[in-house]
Amino acid sequence: SRLAEGTPRRSIHLSNIVEQRVFKDDDIISTPKRGRPKKSVEDEDDDYTPKKSVQKTPTRSRRLSTATKPATTPSKGTTATSAAAPMTPSQKMKKIRAGELSPSMQQRTDRPVKDSSKSQLQLAREQLHVSVVPKSLPCREREFENIYAFLEGKIQDQCGGCMYVSGVPGTGKTATVTGVIRTLQRLSKQNELPAFEFLEINGMRLTEPRQAYVQIYKQLTGKTVSWEHAHSLLEKRFTTPAPRRVTTVLLVDELDILCNRRQDVVYNLLDWPTKSAAKLVVVTIANTMDLPERLLMGKVTSRLGLTRLTFQPYTHKQLQEIVTARLGGSEAFKGEAVQLVARKVAAVSGDARRALDICRRATEIADTASVKCVTLLHVQQALAEMIASAKVQAIKNCSRLEQIFLQAVAAEVTRTGVEETTFMGVYTQVETIAAFMGVTLPAPGRALRLCATLGAERLIISEHSRNDLFQKILLNVSADDIHYALRVGEVN
Amino acid sequence: MPEAVQEFAKARRFLKERLQRDYTTLRGYSEERSNVRQLLQRTAEMGESNSLLLIGPRGAGKTTLINAVLTDLLDNKAFVDNTLIVHLDGNLHTDDRLALKSITVQMRLENAADGKVFGSFAENLAFLLQCLKSGGKRAKSVVFLLEEFDLFCTHHNQTLLYNLFDVSQSAQAPICVLGVTCRLDVIELLEKRVKSRFSHRQVFLFPTSDQLEQYAALCQELLSLPSNSSLKSAAERVNSLQMLRSEALSFGRRHFDPAAYTFDSRFREGWNKQLAKMLASQPAQRTLQTLYDFDISEAFLKNFLFRLVAQLREESPHITAEQMSALAAQYEGDDKVELLCGLSVLELCLIIAVKHHSEIYDRDPFNFEIIFARFSKFAKVSTTMQGVERSIVLKAFEHLRIGELILPVSSGSGNASGKVQKEFEMHKMALTYGQIQQAVQRYQALPTEVAQWSQSSLI
Repeated sequence: SRLAEGTPRRSIHLSNIVEQRVFKDDDIISTPKRGRPKKSVEDEDDDYTPKKSVQKTPTRSRRLSTATKPATTPSKGTTATSAAAPMTPSQKMKKIRAGELSPSMQQRTDRPVKDSSKSQLQLAREQLHVSVVPKSLPCREREFENIYAFLEGKIQDQCGGCMYVSGVPGTGKTATVTGVIRTLQRLSKQNELPAFEFLEINGMRLTEPRQAYVQIYKQLTGKTVSWEHAHSLLEKRFTTPAPRRVTTVLLVDELDILCNRRQDVVYNLLDWPTKSAAKLVVVTIANTMDLPERLLMGKVTSRLGLTRLTFQPYTHKQLQEIVTARLGGSEAFKGEAVQLVARKVAAVSGDARRALDICRRATEIADTASVKCVTLLHVQQALAEMIASAKVQAIKNCSRLEQIFLQAVAAEVTRTGVEETTFMGVYTQVETIAAFMGVTLPAPGRALRLCATLGAERLIISEHSRNDLFQKILLNVSADDIHYALRVGEVN
Repeated sequence: MPEAVQEFAKARRFLKERLQRDYTTLRGYSEERSNVRQLLQRTAEMGESNSLLLIGPRGAGKTTLINAVLTDLLDNKAFVDNTLIVHLDGNLHTDDRLALKSITVQMRLENAADGKVFGSFAENLAFLLQCLKSGGKRAKSVVFLLEEFDLFCTHHNQTLLYNLFDVSQSAQAPICVLGVTCRLDVIELLEKRVKSRFSHRQVFLFPTSDQLEQYAALCQELLSLPSNSSLKSAAERVNSLQMLRSEALSFGRRHFDPAAYTFDSRFREGWNKQLAKMLASQPAQRTLQTLYDFDISEAFLKNFLFRLVAQLREESPHITAEQMSALAAQYEGDDKVELLCGLSVLELCLIIAVKHHSEIYDRDPFNFEIIFARFSKFAKVSTTMQGVERSIVLKAFEHLRIGELILPVSSGSGNASGKVQKEFEMHKMALTYGQIQQAVQRYQALPTEVAQWSQSSLI
């Protein structure tokens, strides 16, 4: 990975030294101090005195002497005339790493559409978007109470601890936890609760488990440092007692991604709460209920503790309640339409996202039909679209020889009784069927092409056509689907 | 008549260019097209976040549909000003690191300068997510086009897909994730949390030319010359594209430009009339039928027509049904038989020996010794093959192997085959008996002995 990082940098001569320092050296925090003394930075610096730099004094001083010039001059220049002189990319990068440049997106040229000009259906569609999380989640009151009691207790007691929350995707885990934390933050703002810090990481937003240290440290100070450095700084912070340390709540989403073979990251994240100096409360979220037993080491499971909570999939009643709560008093949906969505989704997965997406698609369908209210028919169409099975459709739309090829694979499976067929056997069947139907027989080379086409569509699973007559072919659709698709067409 | 010749050359160039470089004209699929168009429009105007998968067999016009929709929308100034388009391709962006760099460049984020991205992979991801998070409803919409979507599913942890879908399902900058793939079961490749975040909108594109008539009509449309007025309107459309050339539109650059062509009306009418007459004839219909039976996609037809147009000469300036059927016969032909006909008599003798062995032992594998013994038995009694040395036969055997007419049994690792001496390595035959028979019949000046031997293994 270092190699890949290195390539763009190497071409830029000026930045070379600076960036190396930021990445590798232990003393990045001391360098900016030279330019402009900042209190917060100094605190951090006093907190952390790297051992490495003491050992490597000569190298450090040498590096400093080479690096001070490029490192300090631009910072002086930018503070003085930040607007006038455009920054070089490496200066910009330095600012980004120091957290002094907030990332931004390009803005629209026109203003967004006003709410008052939107139709009822459009408003309903916006309300139904998954991103519009309601202030209080319906049907998750018990879980809310549970997590609230846990976190409030931990914050009041100033002790630290762990919790494991699990459940299948789309059952309101993250929304509930962040809802609890928002409530607690409001309380602490009103001084009804001791103040606490809130950090949040997501395993899937990291490129590798160790980047968790970088992200946590970044949320504490805003700086981006290497993971080794971030790790030692965090270790320092959590293991050494410091007066007036506030409680820290750390939310870890997608815990299973943070587990690697060594499990050092998960171990550290769950070990810090056991230290009395760190008032750290860790809430971990994952999908599988038995993750601690299945994947984690014994010592990690032990540290995770037994405070656990499982989010059950939504039942059809709950899904219905969720959708009607989103709609508010709007009349855009018929009652039975919502019920149909809820029942269909609850039977498959109990995923709230799925229900909301289907409802949104139904509003779109009603919109194109220029009706003001979503009825059962629209919902049925949306359901058919989104719980799609297009295999029969695909077989019907194959060319004639492709259809014959599929029939031949099915025939060969029935003949041999084994699921796996070879191309040679299938080709013999093609010969037979083609003779029977009066179609000209494709040469084996062309039949290989048919096979590759069907394999690309995944109607069959086939090997690379290099092994020619001996490649193995599996049927990826059921033989009944083939018969259904081809027979029903014949009758018409 | 040099004028007619000129006109003809122009027509040929026009047809070729239209077949190859017309990236934005889509035929049919009106419902799917309006579906995608409305989705993109809502993303741009309302700031809605969406995700969609476009699924269909290869050559069905998936990319053309997107290009066509984008061309429609690029006329709309509100769309152009408020959206960024990010193209990603699973074949080019083989891992998330490359994809992320490309996104950073195409979105012109602050850590990119002149197409060069600074920082590590982890930093890039964090920066992109921060950017998207910082933008709300006021930020520009971003349309992510992921071609060969199924290849993105093979990336480590599906980090990129998770994050894109996650942004589309949370209150951040409005984005639209548009995946394009030919795999019908692509949803099964998604991890469950990625699948949950995907909105399950799928648009299926199947070439709908259910009947041969539509196929023939398409063929006629692709070959006929349009009227000058329709050329002009098409040219206007393309010009509106070229206004946006500087944008990262991959298809805007070398697009087919109809403005360069105008046709003499007499010539055009003559051409179209001749064409319609030819296509209505029986042999042409039959040719189309065979093509249609094999592959119904437009891409395949275009390939065929390009070869047809390329064959046109000044001496015979019209496409004839004979040309069509001759070309189709080339498609029908068997390349392996051609290859067999190019072998020497000795190599063909070995193939026949292999065939006899396979027939007797029901396609059991063979090695050089077995085949050489069988061949020697024939050579001893034949008049032409008597003095052939073993080393020459071995060389011929190796030729067959390099031509992949026979394949080694232990496919895969080459180490295992290295241990066995090459005379004793087991092989299997990659030919059908029918192909060998055809080759023996078609072989030029085959000695009668060999032809007779091929009929029966008894000597």
